[in-house]
Amino acid sequence: MSTRKTVSPWCLASWLDRSSILLFFALWELAPKAGGLLETFIAPPSVVVRTLWDLLLSGELLGHLAVSLGRATTGFVVATLVALPLGFLLGGNFKSFERIVNPVLRFLGQVNPFSLSPLFIMLFGISELSKWAMIFWVCIWPILFNTITGVKGIDPFLVKSARSMGIGLPTLFWKVILPAASPGIFTGLKMGSGTAFFMLIAAEMIGASSGLGWLVWNAQINFQIPKLFAATAVISVLGMILNTLLVMAEKRLLGWRVSLPNS
Amino acid sequence: MARAEDSPVRIDTEAKILVKGITSVYHLKKNRTEQAREFIALKDINLEVRKGEFLVLVGPSGCGKSTLLDILAGLAVPTSGAVYIDGKIVTGPALDRGIVLQGYALFPWRTVRRNVEFGLEIKKVPKRDRTAISDHFINLVGLDGSAHRYPHELSGGMKQRVAIARALAYDPEVLLMDEPFAAVDAQTRENLQDELLRIWEATGKTIIFVTHSIEEAVFLGDRVAVLTPNPGTLREIVNIDLPRPRHNSDTRGSAEFGWIRRKIWELLQNSPSDVKRSLDKLKLQNASPDAKHHLNLLPVADIISPTASL
Repeated sequence: MSTRKTVSPWCLASWLDRSSILLFFALWELAPKAGGLLETFIAPPSVVVRTLWDLLLSGELLGHLAVSLGRATTGFVVATLVALPLGFLLGGNFKSFERIVNPVLRFLGQVNPFSLSPLFIMLFGISELSKWAMIFWVCIWPILFNTITGVKGIDPFLVKSARSMGIGLPTLFWKVILPAASPGIFTGLKMGSGTAFFMLIAAEMIGASSGLGWLVWNAQINFQIPKLFAATAVISVLGMILNTLLVMAEKRLLGWRVSLPNS
Repeated sequence: MARAEDSPVRIDTEAKILVKGITSVYHLKKNRTEQAREFIALKDINLEVRKGEFLVLVGPSGCGKSTLLDILAGLAVPTSGAVYIDGKIVTGPALDRGIVLQGYALFPWRTVRRNVEFGLEIKKVPKRDRTAISDHFINLVGLDGSAHRYPHELSGGMKQRVAIARALAYDPEVLLMDEPFAAVDAQTRENLQDELLRIWEATGKTIIFVTHSIEEAVFLGDRVAVLTPNPGTLREIVNIDLPRPRHNSDTRGSAEFGWIRRKIWELLQNSPSDVKRSLDKLKLQNASPDAKHHLNLLPVADIISPTASL
């Protein structure tokens, strides 16, 4: 394969990649100016940016942002603290028990907390707790399942060769089991944090008085289209930042792997 | 598994390693409902290994050679019998024995250097000394310049060199190797065999090496213990008097090499159970008294070998 052949389409592609976002914003800016329905329902970027600036100056945006991040983090961290030890026990020490409870866990994992939101609200009220519980619920399953898979997939020869050196159990865990299971665990954390964020916005839309989700919902019912767009844009950017951070962490922690999935 | 009660904790012996009456029985189940069947992996194995000796265990798959190595490593417990190292009974794995496995079993998240240092970390060797020791063994196996690389960046032969360096680094007196070269190509395999002999001569370790290749066994070993399956029994221990240092380039071509290889091949072919089985088959076909005579196969190597002492 000659280099010249492969270089030019790649350059074109990368140029297109970069231009696509500009094109997108240009269309978004110009389309509403054509008038009609679009004008009513779509706020152009220039208006969105101005609204964002106002929201930022009034301190409203940062307040909601902090509330949302706090909720997502709490639910995610608690889910991680429960799912990791449980995953290690089910995947490592109690494999036959895991086989028995697996169908039940899989079923529970598919239960959407929104269909049960009345139950959550009944149990925990329209308080922070009900939001935490929902985030916890959506986070725990991917982390648990991926940890179990990660622990089960550890090459037994790694454990064997470490054991042949008379290694103690705590050392075996920290130096072999944990790093060997880390790709699986990381996949779980990545999936968990992604869904946590996604679900949080929805949770805040159905029963909250603050947070980015509430901001969207509030703009919706008051028909404040620019505000709706501003909040949505913030949520998208936040999601992108989260994803970038995770990819960076993965490169740093799991750089030893043969190939990393591109993101 | 009342091993500790049947066997003395200490025993008076000159041997580095003493294997005494090892029997290992597995209970096999094809599925969860079936009743367990007994499978005798090893039957009454007795063996003595001198200090600094290179002993090879050879046999077909299913003869229990890997089980025996696991028992020596302290990773498996025999049903009866015991292993003594320097007269002291083996009760579990320890840093006086290093193990090298066929699948390399390198830690993929550790660089070559950190893999080699693994046992040193367990041994709680200070960091500065660790670097010096890992440097030495990385050089010894010929991997200088690759210390910072990760296992996935290495070829099979290089990975096995790292595994050997890792097992040597914490300075065990005994090196247990379970078909270490079975996964590499023929050319690399011969190189690694030459290298292993060089390292063995340089370090003076006692090595127990498991293989299913007769050639490899003859080339490497001071003695070759021939194991036959169903149940795993020690058929015979063959002395290999080929001069050292041995090199793949000239040792393999010698006539003696050929005779010994042939002899071990015969031992593996005409296992007592095989002869009996074919005899029974023939008896069924025709009850001629000559049948037994036809089957009285003397190992060819014993008849035509110029070196009768074999």
